[in-house]
Amino acid sequence: MRIAIPKGRLQERALSVFADAGYDIPSETDLKTRKLVFDRGGIEWIFVKDGDVPVYVEHGAADAGIAGLDQILEHECTAYQPVEFPFGHCRMMLIAAPGAPPLTKVATKYPRITRQFLDQRGVHAEIVPLSGSVELAAVLNLTSHVVDLVETGETVRIHKLEMQEVVAEISPRLIVGKNFYRTEPKTVRELIAKIEEAARVSS
Amino acid sequence: MATKSRYPTGVRPLLAEETARRRRIELRFVDALAGAGFSEVVLPIIDYVEPYGALVEPATAKQSYRFVDREGDLIAIRSDFTPMLARALAPSIAPEELPLRLFYRGDVIRVEASRLGANRELFQIGAEIIGDDSIDADVAMLRLAADLVRAPRNEPNAEPTIVYNDVSIAAALIAQAGAVCEALAAKRMTAGVPAALQTIVAKLISGEATLNDVAPFAPEAAARLSAIEEAVAGDAVFTLHLDDIEDSGYYTGLRFRVYAGSGRTKVAQGGRYDNLYERFGQRAAAIGFAFTIDDLD
Repeated sequence: MRIAIPKGRLQERALSVFADAGYDIPSETDLKTRKLVFDRGGIEWIFVKDGDVPVYVEHGAADAGIAGLDQILEHECTAYQPVEFPFGHCRMMLIAAPGAPPLTKVATKYPRITRQFLDQRGVHAEIVPLSGSVELAAVLNLTSHVVDLVETGETVRIHKLEMQEVVAEISPRLIVGKNFYRTEPKTVRELIAKIEEAARVSS
Repeated sequence: MATKSRYPTGVRPLLAEETARRRRIELRFVDALAGAGFSEVVLPIIDYVEPYGALVEPATAKQSYRFVDREGDLIAIRSDFTPMLARALAPSIAPEELPLRLFYRGDVIRVEASRLGANRELFQIGAEIIGDDSIDADVAMLRLAADLVRAPRNEPNAEPTIVYNDVSIAAALIAQAGAVCEALAAKRMTAGVPAALQTIVAKLISGEATLNDVAPFAPEAAARLSAIEEAVAGDAVFTLHLDDIEDSGYYTGLRFRVYAGSGRTKVAQGGRYDNLYERFGQRAAAIGFAFTIDDLD
């Protein structure tokens, strides 16, 4: 079994879930090396950028992984999401500069989700795809609005922006590839049961 | 970018070696199907969009290439053989000719989100039995699919898997409460599943559900699956997966998928669609499957 762990925001929590579930996870020392693949406890652990977890799992290059709903939706990932974790919850918000004009231009790391959000509201706006520090776009007037994840709201407050609307409630999930799910039902059920229990205990 | 040195996304030529490989598999399939009493039909590569009307769901429509032809009609390039065969046959089949055993081969062009970076032009060989709603026909098609995928593949470590289910089970539950769909799709109990259905949905999700558990909700499907299960019991290739619900499309009963190779690739899928022919003006039960040949190892 190959499991994809997201680097960054969710990495530590993701690993501790697997540790709590009784899996032999890569150690701190392992992680300090520049390796990206670790064999431990009969499992191949791979470490990839958070947004790439759904891609690996969707295509069967990893059997399961942990991914935020933001990345799952953005990649139109069709993998199963059998466990929703109690940690790492946040919101995807439409954010604007104070006194911003009606929405005509919006910057985001999530062009696909933003497009769907705009379509649902019948709003015609140009999407400017960025890869980070999205709030800056509104601060510097590159766009009037941005769509981004808000955890504590601190970034939004510091930049004197205002939150206008919730685009989606985001939480991390265990995702399991469809082909893996269908062809290795015993292994999958065991994985889900263990992770579910670990998630329940940690909440 | 100049188009001189590349092809549109998802298509490419097959040169001698790959073509030879494809033809080898194709010949084997055609021999096996002819041997099993199936006759070949040829269907057009393009067709009007209009006759398929409501049959094509928005998601499927998005997968096909469409254009307006010289007469101003909306045309789609073939993306699925089954509805085309129904449209071709329905006006002319005489009940006394049934059942028909037919097969077809050719390309379909399809843009699937889940096949990111993969081929969009897929060479398929499919077979159908039209006018037979019996469990025997279900079992015959499952066995035929197993024979085709298994034939000369001497890979002891990569036994194929055929997962089967009946789409009317989930449909019956979803008809009672739409929230069931979301829960089964995610494989997680979600808010909104009514108390009366929580037990069965939880069992389906955890994989503990048996045919006895689903029988009160979908008695006919449970009885059919039970008979099929008994008939294929001796073959380890077959696995009953009661929680499998997605993309039911025009399917009405048995639904199955064939996985093969070390990469657990889905190489074929099929099922029963007893209402499809009716939409083209003739009642006839039907069951079929299609293999995507280049996905076979």
